[in-house]
Amino acid sequence: MMKKFMDRFRKKGRQDVRMWHEHPMKPAYDAVIVGGGLHGLAAAYYLGRDHGMTDVAVIERRYIGYGGSGRNTSIVRSNQRSKENIPLYDEGLKLWPELIGELDFNLMFFNCGNLNLAHSEAEAAGLKMTVATAQIMGVRSEFLNARECKELVPHLDITHRPRYPIYGGMYHPPGGTVRHDAVVWALARGADRLGIHIHQLTEVEDILVEKGKVTGVKTDKGTIRTPLVLNAAGGYSPTVSTMVGIDLPVTVLPLQALVSEPLKPFLHHVVSSGRYHAYASQSLKGEIVTGAHMDPWPSYTTHVTAHYMKHQAEALMDLMPCLRGARFMRIWGGLTDMTPDMAPIVSDSPIGGFYLDCGWGYFGFKSAPITGRYMARWIATGNCPEILKPFSLRRYRNYNLQRETAAVMYYTPWN
Amino acid sequence: MTPRLPESPTQRISRENELLFFYRGKPFKGLEGDTIATALYSNGVRIFSRSMKYHRPRGLYNLDGYSSHCLVTVDGEPNVRGCATPLRQGMWVTPQNVLGSPRWDLMGLMQFFSFAMPVGFYYKAFHKPSWVWPFAQAVIRRAAGLGRIDPEMPEGVYQNRYYNCEVCIIGGGLAGMEAALAAAEGGVRVILLERRDHLGGDLAYRVTRSNEGIPPYRRAAMLAEAVSACENVTVLLCTSATAIYQSNHVTAVKRGGAGDPYRETYLEVRARSVVVATGAIERPLLFSNNDLPGIMQGSCAHRLARVYGIKPGNRMVVSGCHDGMLEMAADLAELGIEIVAVADGRSSGFDTELISNLHRKGIPFLPGTMARKAIGFKRLKGVQLAPTFGNGRKRWYSCDVLAASAGEAPLSQLLQVAGAKMAYDSAAGQFLPGEFPPGIHAAGKVTAARGEETIAAQGKLAGLMALQDLGLGRTSHIRQVREILDVIEKRPAGRHWTAPPVGSRKCFLCFDEDVTTDQVRDAIDQGFDQSELVKRYTAVGTGPSQSYLSGTNLPLLLADQRGLEPGAVLPTTVRPPVFPTSLAALGGRRYTSSKRTPLHEKQAQLGACFRLTGVWERAGSFADAGLSQEVENVRKNVGFIDVSTLGKFRLFGRDAVKLLNRVYAGNMETVTEGRLKYAAMCNEQGVIIDDGVVTRMGESDYFFTTSSLRAGNTLEWLAFHSKEEDWEAHLVNLTDAMAAVNLAGPRSREVLARLVDADCSNEVFPYMAVRRMKLCGEVDALVMRVGFVGELSFEIHVPASYGAALQDALLDAGKPYCIRPFGLDAQSVLRLEKGHVIIGTDTDNHSTLHDIGLSWAWDRKKAGNQTVGAPALRFTETQKHRQKLVGFTMNEAFRTPSDGSIVVADGTVKGRVTSSRFSPTLGRSIGLALVDPDLAVMGGTLEFYTDGRLNRKGLPEIKTFRGTIVPVPFYDPEGKRLRG
Amino acid sequence: MSFLLTCPNCGPRNIYEFRFGGEVKTRPDENTVSAEDWADYVYLSKNVCGVQKEWWYHAKGCGTWFAVERDTRDNLPVVKEENEG
Ligand SMILES: Cc1cc2nc3c(=O)[nH]c(=O)nc-3n(C[C@H](O)[C@H](O)[C@H](O)COP(=O)(O)OP(=O)(O)OC[C@H]3O[C@@H](n4cnc5c(N)ncnc54)[C@H](O)[C@@H]3O)c2cc1C
Ligand SMILES: [Zn+2]
Repeated sequence: MMKKFMDRFRKKGRQDVRMWHEHPMKPAYDAVIVGGGLHGLAAAYYLGRDHGMTDVAVIERRYIGYGGSGRNTSIVRSNQRSKENIPLYDEGLKLWPELIGELDFNLMFFNCGNLNLAHSEAEAAGLKMTVATAQIMGVRSEFLNARECKELVPHLDITHRPRYPIYGGMYHPPGGTVRHDAVVWALARGADRLGIHIHQLTEVEDILVEKGKVTGVKTDKGTIRTPLVLNAAGGYSPTVSTMVGIDLPVTVLPLQALVSEPLKPFLHHVVSSGRYHAYASQSLKGEIVTGAHMDPWPSYTTHVTAHYMKHQAEALMDLMPCLRGARFMRIWGGLTDMTPDMAPIVSDSPIGGFYLDCGWGYFGFKSAPITGRYMARWIATGNCPEILKPFSLRRYRNYNLQRETAAVMYYTPWN
Repeated sequence: MTPRLPESPTQRISRENELLFFYRGKPFKGLEGDTIATALYSNGVRIFSRSMKYHRPRGLYNLDGYSSHCLVTVDGEPNVRGCATPLRQGMWVTPQNVLGSPRWDLMGLMQFFSFAMPVGFYYKAFHKPSWVWPFAQAVIRRAAGLGRIDPEMPEGVYQNRYYNCEVCIIGGGLAGMEAALAAAEGGVRVILLERRDHLGGDLAYRVTRSNEGIPPYRRAAMLAEAVSACENVTVLLCTSATAIYQSNHVTAVKRGGAGDPYRETYLEVRARSVVVATGAIERPLLFSNNDLPGIMQGSCAHRLARVYGIKPGNRMVVSGCHDGMLEMAADLAELGIEIVAVADGRSSGFDTELISNLHRKGIPFLPGTMARKAIGFKRLKGVQLAPTFGNGRKRWYSCDVLAASAGEAPLSQLLQVAGAKMAYDSAAGQFLPGEFPPGIHAAGKVTAARGEETIAAQGKLAGLMALQDLGLGRTSHIRQVREILDVIEKRPAGRHWTAPPVGSRKCFLCFDEDVTTDQVRDAIDQGFDQSELVKRYTAVGTGPSQSYLSGTNLPLLLADQRGLEPGAVLPTTVRPPVFPTSLAALGGRRYTSSKRTPLHEKQAQLGACFRLTGVWERAGSFADAGLSQEVENVRKNVGFIDVSTLGKFRLFGRDAVKLLNRVYAGNMETVTEGRLKYAAMCNEQGVIIDDGVVTRMGESDYFFTTSSLRAGNTLEWLAFHSKEEDWEAHLVNLTDAMAAVNLAGPRSREVLARLVDADCSNEVFPYMAVRRMKLCGEVDALVMRVGFVGELSFEIHVPASYGAALQDALLDAGKPYCIRPFGLDAQSVLRLEKGHVIIGTDTDNHSTLHDIGLSWAWDRKKAGNQTVGAPALRFTETQKHRQKLVGFTMNEAFRTPSDGSIVVADGTVKGRVTSSRFSPTLGRSIGLALVDPDLAVMGGTLEFYTDGRLNRKGLPEIKTFRGTIVPVPFYDPEGKRLRG
Repeated sequence: MSFLLTCPNCGPRNIYEFRFGGEVKTRPDENTVSAEDWADYVYLSKNVCGVQKEWWYHAKGCGTWFAVERDTRDNLPVVKEENEG
């Protein structure tokens, strides 16, 4: 009797609790988004929420969050290097609390702050410039000397033992981590509730163009007519662009990340070092989550390498010797769509109705919801929001690149 | 220590050698041969740790380190797998994740709240109202994690080893040993990795004879002897393979035993062929309270008794699904353990011999039955057995040990990491690996093979196949073994368990993360219906035991719940390392390397303070002098700096000048013998990437220098263009072959004159000239009149072996002129006074030659040589948006904006200071800045903003400065001193 | 170490000994090229998901540049392009 009742309850619940649903694919949509990662899902959600555009399909080849969105190390921050980039990331960082309430899902924003280390005077100068820029733009950030870094993160080794001794660091209190999978699911649920269709296990194979304008999308499950397509395919964005004959200023590089076995909490910040190509934070579960540099050759594999794991161990132990007691439990790889200026391509294109939201490399998690919001505005209204203007594809042809990095990129011979 | 079972040939403990260790601060005794877990067990410890989420007690479960039950902290090292770590004298062992003791854990209360923590609980709680979250987060965080990191953990007892071999065999059981012997026949180097501390695998502890053969443990011992006798086989014990990466690159971790100087060794094996013979693991049975201490794998109970001589308990119930359990039950009864009942989930397909064995011993055998519920709180008290399918009779049995498993699953993780695909095999009732990458073979239980003879033949075959990869295959041998394999009768596989009708909560699918089958069901209801999604949502299989225990059950349960055939849902991706690897082991002994110049020791004698720049250790400053003294001495007298780090190259061959013209912006046809030409190098974006001087040494023979950090890239760069064009140009890197010193200052000529016979006068040896000279009458030197620091100066290049002598000679000759060394700090002030840029410091990846005022270094009319970056130089020349490099002096003479200050106008960022120093020579602060074009106006005012500290309110304390744009160079604008 | 690449001079070597040198492209004539075409040449890549021809340099080895065809889906080299150093 009781059991029957419980079963009924469970059955009834079954329909109500689904986070998203499967729908038959329609022959036409007002807009099609290629890629069920965060950028695609966010754009879909905001198209529905802000512009009442709900006749939208998100096409995902595998399952939502299969790409970088489910593989990243979930770091969020807004202390970018250049004045063109900061506003977007700043708004993006401030959006999390709002999003958590609105989507009614705990995205587990862990506001632990980020400490980015410098190992020489020259590196310190670079970070101080970033700090000064942030401060002028109202983003909280400050430069700490080595001793202050150690006060903040007591496990740092500030002696001369490390290969690159710690000189100081850029501390950015508003940053931290957000549970990446949760954002994927919450945005998918949000979009689903607005009536947007998410088609998983469906691959976009071609994009139909007539007279310089998008007319449809060919998938392995059938063809869809649509005047608007957003390329949000992450690591696969170049292959999707190629479908309309556009080559991108992107190199697809594999990036690896690792977690350790769970440990009692001892690391309360995101600590990173450009010099060591390493960063680490401790998840709410107690795992050390770490990653940083890409293998400098293009590849669509998500292979991992022994080399990287060893490198990471050496780097982390130099920064925080106590980490020698941690054990790596899992390493995985993802694809990064790197641009030469380390800034994304959020842009229209020479093909009418074909929009780009890609080039997010290894830094596109934090900005996904906010970019989706502005991208949705652009797609719905046809007008480029001011905040997105710096990210146009045209900047390359204008020899007017973004200043997110001062270094000459190392993955082409055109150093 | 409770007494052990009587001696038996399968035991691997040495009763004579007692080992003292400490657990929770108290002394305990174990035996040599024990693992930490077995030593504790023999001392009556039954609860080892607490689970992550609900703090449920965890007892002994597995003996190979595949579960997280036995994680302990040992000598400061957290998360050590107690069941797979040899006991050592004096070990200090502490339990983990407990508040109090594992038995009396205050956090144990958590399990009573588990009803309030449904699946995905964290995602749906604590976020409304928003102020709750920080508090909740703090609480969650405090409870998180298992072991505790200990900064005092010893260092230096870890190492790395690298091996090359033809065949690497993973797993030293029957299949692995047979494979090793077969491969060894081929005379190639074989490496055999075995996780346990002895060879033999599952034969090594088994005494039950098969049909008429010898007992398994004897067979194992004989094979092990044969393997050890092979000179070309290296056996590594206590070694767990952690991954097979692409191109058969195997990694492993070796745990040090009693006499081992290293606690752990990380090893990499580069093999041509790999044989995976890792065997199988028992898959947990799903029933209520299936995690209680006292419930263990059958092989765990069996090995406890047979290998360590420890009674698992007094009254034991067995609930299995494979023959191993039946054998174990009979064998333990033999050893005096009371077997209350043996249930088998299968209704057919068992080895009848084993069943009659049970009958003979009077042990009740219940086919088609399995454990449904267990009771007990901190310890198992009893088990309910019930029919596998349908609602038949249920019976309770009281017991203190339950050996439970739902059959075996292949230990295919390494194969999966290597790229094998998993598919469900309904005959075996297992997910089996297939589609191996080239050079990878599998043998034994990992392929679900059964029966000693099959496994032995498979092992042999794998060894032969590995030889075949190397081109050493003997087709006839392979055919023979194949025939044997075909002949061996395949036993009918019994029906295997998929998912029993579990009713209650607390039926754990994942022990690490306390995930129950109910929670998985709820996750499916919410739409997480693929293995990968369930894994992420519920965290199944993401803990320290990874997917070893839940890997097969998760997809089967999912398929069952969704009403699909078993096998319709596949297991999740396996990620390496399949055995968690400590950072200490990966790091090994710490090595760092850097380059020192030939003058290093000599510079050190002068009090040099070195710093690492790129790969080089360079003198930043000299202890006895202040920065301004070093600077002033160069301006007034004479100083010298070690510039051996400069890239130095000879380029010769028919197309040498073409190549120079390709990579340098200037016209290299105009380079003549005896003269130096400044040359700037751009990339295809027109951005300056390097500069240096070039001179001609003879017919199609050039010498040139690059900046210190660019030597390696330059080599690459020139080689690339030469290769692309198929030019004949040979590049010789002389960077390390030559030492170089820059002798600078008004008295430098007099110093040089004392060392050489040659005429050094301005007429004979003018600015930008280069001469070959003999130093002190014997040393060949190349002397260049350059002027980076803005004084009369000579760059003296000598063979590296004379570098030290050169410094002595200079100090000697310069004594009357007050010569003293100077370092990088002084040099950077000196060159700044002169307005010379440092590429990468005063320029960035946007700076074209035009932007930094070096347009003159580009010869736009240079004949069709396709100069790198020329088109971009053309297109960017008149662009309006480009930042320009300007020089400034500070309005307040003594305030210097620190490097990294930004230029601000109207509250927005308009550029940045690239270098700024107080100039002792000019008595005021000067600097260079990259600024937006509208600000780059001579005489204009620049406002600088230096980062400030955040005050209590989180607001920055603003520091602003003003400067005025002035012409560069700041010092000696006409260049009189340089040319004087 | 992950995949191996075959240096025409040294044979199969660990990939981390090499430096990737970009897709093999044809350089436009500098005298006639337009600003846009030049930018495309400098910045754009094909990013073939499959076999592409590319430059590699044996940086921690013999210092040879060579062109190979590699499949970007599995990192396996396809055909060796040039053999001399
Ligand atoms: C290891 C790693 C660590 C990272 N760490 C951070 C970090 O700490 N902080 C941060 O901000 N960023 C980080 N990133 C970057 C961040 O993850 C990405 O920038 C971001 O997830 C990109 O989101 P997306 O939606 O654009 O792309 P993705 O999440 O990659 O989604 C693209 C989707 O498109 C699908 N797709 C591709 N082709 C097709 C097709 N033809 N048809 C249909 N579907 C298709 C793919 O399956 C995929 O699901 C990291 C990335 C990696 C790999
Ligand atoms: Zn080579």
